[in-house]
Amino acid sequence: MSPIDNQSLSATLPPPPPPGPNAAASVVGASKVYGSGDSAVYALNEVSVEFRKGEFTAIMGPSGSGKSTLMHCIAGLDELTSGDAYVDSVNLAHLNDKDLTVLRRTKIGFIFQAFNLVPTLTAEENIKLPLLLGNEDGDAEWIARIIDTVHLADRLTHRPSELSGGQQQRVAVARALASRPSIIFADEPTGNLDSTTGTEILSFMRRAVTDLGQTIVMVTHDPVAAAYSDRIIFLADGKVVDEMREPTAAKVLDRMKSLGN
Amino acid sequence: MFRIALKGVLARKGRLVLTSIAVVLGTAFLSGTSVFTATLNRTFDNLFSDVFKNVNAYVRSTEVVDTDFGFQERQRVETNLVDIVAKVPGVDAAAANLQAFARIVGKDGKPLGNEGNGPPTFGSSVVDSKADIWQMSEGRFPKGPTEVALDEASAEAGKFVLGDTVKVITAVGSQEFTLVGIANYGDVRSPGGATFALWDVDTASSLLAKPGYIDAVIVVGDGTMSDEALTQKIQAALPTGKNLETITGAQITKETQDDIKTALSFFGILLTIFAFIGLGVGSFVIYNVFSISAAQRQRENALLRAIGASRRQVTIAMLLESLAVGLVGSVLGLLGGIGLSAGLTALLKAIGVDLPSNGLVVGANTIVQTILIGLIVTVASALLPAFRAGRVPPLAAMRDTALDTAGKPRVRLVLGGTPLLAGMALIGAVIGGARTELLGLAILFIFIGALTLGPLVARPVALTLGRPIASVRGVTGRMARQNAARNPKRTSRTAAPVLIGVALVTAVTALAASIQAEIRGVFGEQFTGDFTISSEAQGFGGLSPSLAVDVSKLDGVKQATGIGQSVVEVEGKGRFLTVINPKTVEGIFDIGLLGDAKVTSLSKNGVLVSEKTAERDKLTNGSTIPAKLSDGTQVDLVVEGVYANDQLAGRYTVSSELFEGTTVSRFDFGVYILKSEGTDSGTLRADLQKLVDSYGSGTLLSKDEYIDKQAAQVNQLLGLIYGLLFLSIIIAIVGIIITLLLSVYERQREIGLLRAVGMTRGQVRSAVRWESVITSLIGAVTGILLGFVLGYVVILSLRDQGITKFELPISSAVTILIVAFVVGVLAAAYPARRATKVDVLAALNTI
Repeated sequence: MSPIDNQSLSATLPPPPPPGPNAAASVVGASKVYGSGDSAVYALNEVSVEFRKGEFTAIMGPSGSGKSTLMHCIAGLDELTSGDAYVDSVNLAHLNDKDLTVLRRTKIGFIFQAFNLVPTLTAEENIKLPLLLGNEDGDAEWIARIIDTVHLADRLTHRPSELSGGQQQRVAVARALASRPSIIFADEPTGNLDSTTGTEILSFMRRAVTDLGQTIVMVTHDPVAAAYSDRIIFLADGKVVDEMREPTAAKVLDRMKSLGN
Repeated sequence: MFRIALKGVLARKGRLVLTSIAVVLGTAFLSGTSVFTATLNRTFDNLFSDVFKNVNAYVRSTEVVDTDFGFQERQRVETNLVDIVAKVPGVDAAAANLQAFARIVGKDGKPLGNEGNGPPTFGSSVVDSKADIWQMSEGRFPKGPTEVALDEASAEAGKFVLGDTVKVITAVGSQEFTLVGIANYGDVRSPGGATFALWDVDTASSLLAKPGYIDAVIVVGDGTMSDEALTQKIQAALPTGKNLETITGAQITKETQDDIKTALSFFGILLTIFAFIGLGVGSFVIYNVFSISAAQRQRENALLRAIGASRRQVTIAMLLESLAVGLVGSVLGLLGGIGLSAGLTALLKAIGVDLPSNGLVVGANTIVQTILIGLIVTVASALLPAFRAGRVPPLAAMRDTALDTAGKPRVRLVLGGTPLLAGMALIGAVIGGARTELLGLAILFIFIGALTLGPLVARPVALTLGRPIASVRGVTGRMARQNAARNPKRTSRTAAPVLIGVALVTAVTALAASIQAEIRGVFGEQFTGDFTISSEAQGFGGLSPSLAVDVSKLDGVKQATGIGQSVVEVEGKGRFLTVINPKTVEGIFDIGLLGDAKVTSLSKNGVLVSEKTAERDKLTNGSTIPAKLSDGTQVDLVVEGVYANDQLAGRYTVSSELFEGTTVSRFDFGVYILKSEGTDSGTLRADLQKLVDSYGSGTLLSKDEYIDKQAAQVNQLLGLIYGLLFLSIIIAIVGIIITLLLSVYERQREIGLLRAVGMTRGQVRSAVRWESVITSLIGAVTGILLGFVLGYVVILSLRDQGITKFELPISSAVTILIVAFVVGVLAAAYPARRATKVDVLAALNTI
């Protein structure tokens, strides 16, 4: 199917339903196509997914399944070829670069696999970065609570080079939480960490959802990491192929094996 | 390895272009200078071969007075020599040659030509002879004391037609003549842009020299013998005992060409010095770019090492790259220099210096010199980074990030601190009385020390300068501050070109401010008149001595005196004399005579000497100084007094009477006027102005205006130096642009992260911009401090020349800071735009 067909097809369909009131973010009929004609590659193919407020969702799938693309498109880092992405009921297609930047700063938090911090800023400045960029003071009590939660109170004046990998990632988690965003996206947050440190980070993320009521979407390969979530969405070849609630590592592993078959 | 190096160069065309720009700028000025001076030299060579093309022999006096500044004044010969020479067998024609200051006044009452700094204005004799190059293109040759001819260009500029009345200023005052001819000079309308008023020989000699005297005799042979033989024949026929010589046409051509070359060589040397400053500054940029690119390619180089490349191979690959950059840059620089020189020539033409140009001279030596120097500077600048690249451990390929090797601070402190302290100690020694020549060494040491210590101070200075920016600009300011401080070596290398340029500008400005303060002080103390009429002609022509006499006759003038200058030879060396009129100078111009000597009693052969001269030559009242005036007259000057204030009067002061009855052309450079009590300044000024207008030359100024103007003369020098240092600013800007571009490239992931977590494009731009401003300010602030020291050192070296005041040019320092700020903003424009274009996803995905 060529993208033109795809567009004409979606034109004949009724307008996609607006996201439900409980959705922190969602995509409707989302497609991402690279190239055109015979060489067109579908990174995402008509994906519709909703991420509910206060839920910890993991996105899993083999390499090239489109999980990172999905995350980037909902986070406003990349554009969909067709379909719509919503954050807090705002359709991202209607935003220009500047509005998208403000949206990322105020409504979205990010945790990346590596190179998460600005090396020239202190831990505290890194945590407050989205607020500083927006020239806001933020909620001091909230920030104090986050810093406390991730055990960073005695590391605030240190620069990233003076912190261990785990500490750096904790700063990244704190930064993602600092502006109290509508949704936090984490891209393989434990990919670069040893298992003990990884566990530590995952439990912080878990606590952010359970105790602080945040919404997190995490892309991962790791069944153990995925087991910390409330819900797992499995992607393959740009399509949602399965979903699992209240996962355990063993269940995930099983499901992955079956997907592999 | 060569192929790998070449591929590396080609794969990074952007970097090749950036590095080449620094080489281009440095070499373009060098080749431009070389082409321009070669062109100028050849132009004058051609001009004078044309002028003397038909001349077979030249008869002149052997008596010459050399002055301090390489000018020569040759004694004149009697006019009847022309007839004597004309009768020598083998001579076809002989003509008088006489040329001196004269200025044509245009119909609007304004003199033609620019007195101070244009081509000269001449009066000359002209005669219808094969031996005279002037030919009338309109009208006829002038005859008698009332007729004049003008060169074509001047006639056109003054809108004169045949039959017009033309006023001309000469040494004997201004007079009106009837225009009977318009002349051309061989193929040119006016040689070298000079203006010419032409009279018959007798008129010219009474106006320009002394009746009956001319400069020399030009001889054209009849072709029956060689120039050498003709010259010998003429010499034999000359009256003896009159110090005359005959030289061939080839000799006079060569002499004149050499004289011009000597005069132009100063200009060439000045340009070359600035070209080398530019190249030196540029080499910092080249060094910086190679250092950064070596750091960025650390992993790549480590990988090469890991798979078996030797240190030498890595180093050589890097040097080959620098060779390519040097070659591309030098060739482009050569072409740019030729363009630059063409532009300069066009500029000269536009301001009226019409040289008979035969195209630019691009000599083989220019090409070889430019490319060779460009290559050497580039490869030498890349040496250190190349060796460092070779030392990369293969393990670095496995490590994550390229680190800025900070070096050993203690070693650097010693390496930089030692020359700095040595320089300071040398200055201290000179203050304590050591030889002033040591100051040159002190400056060199201080520069080396400052540049070596740069990386150590860059971080604290960046943090300090960035503090106000960080507090005003919020997080972007904070990041800019940290970014400027994060790579101290790079920052200090980037700031170095700014530092050098600013230090030189500040030093020159400090020097100028001090000289100005000195001038104001000296004039304020020594000159007590109310008005002056001054000539802008420097060393050539000036005000007619009759002006002072006419001024003193005006109502409301209590006293007026003319002051001039002349050259005499004392003990074989040319010396400047200040020429005063002892009867009128008292009470207007005070030279601070010591004891009970009186300036009013200075006699015809009397001389007043400065205290220093008296001390040095052990002169007391009654001592005699044998001197030769510029026309060859021998006099024994008798010391009649010693004076203290030598800043204006110099070593010797004589009476204007000394020159009565000689053929020395005398001019005043200024007429100083004291008004009578109760005279209205406004009325007097109007009357004076009328008189000045009737002379057609000179500028009337009040005392304050005059002092301001004297002080402002220094600004001309400043303007020239600023103009040339502009080059180093351009190179500094290019250096900052290149560094920022490379830094932006290096920090792509960081910028991507910042964009992802919500930094707007505007904020990215702002962070880059402020980083650039901080870097530029680091160079400016350290440069200003260094410049103050330098300026102080230069003034210290001039203490024997009477410069004693040291003024800090605070307002200029502020201007420099503002310029540095603007430079920072401008330099950041392109890199900042590039930074905003960083693809967030691509940046985050590159690990």
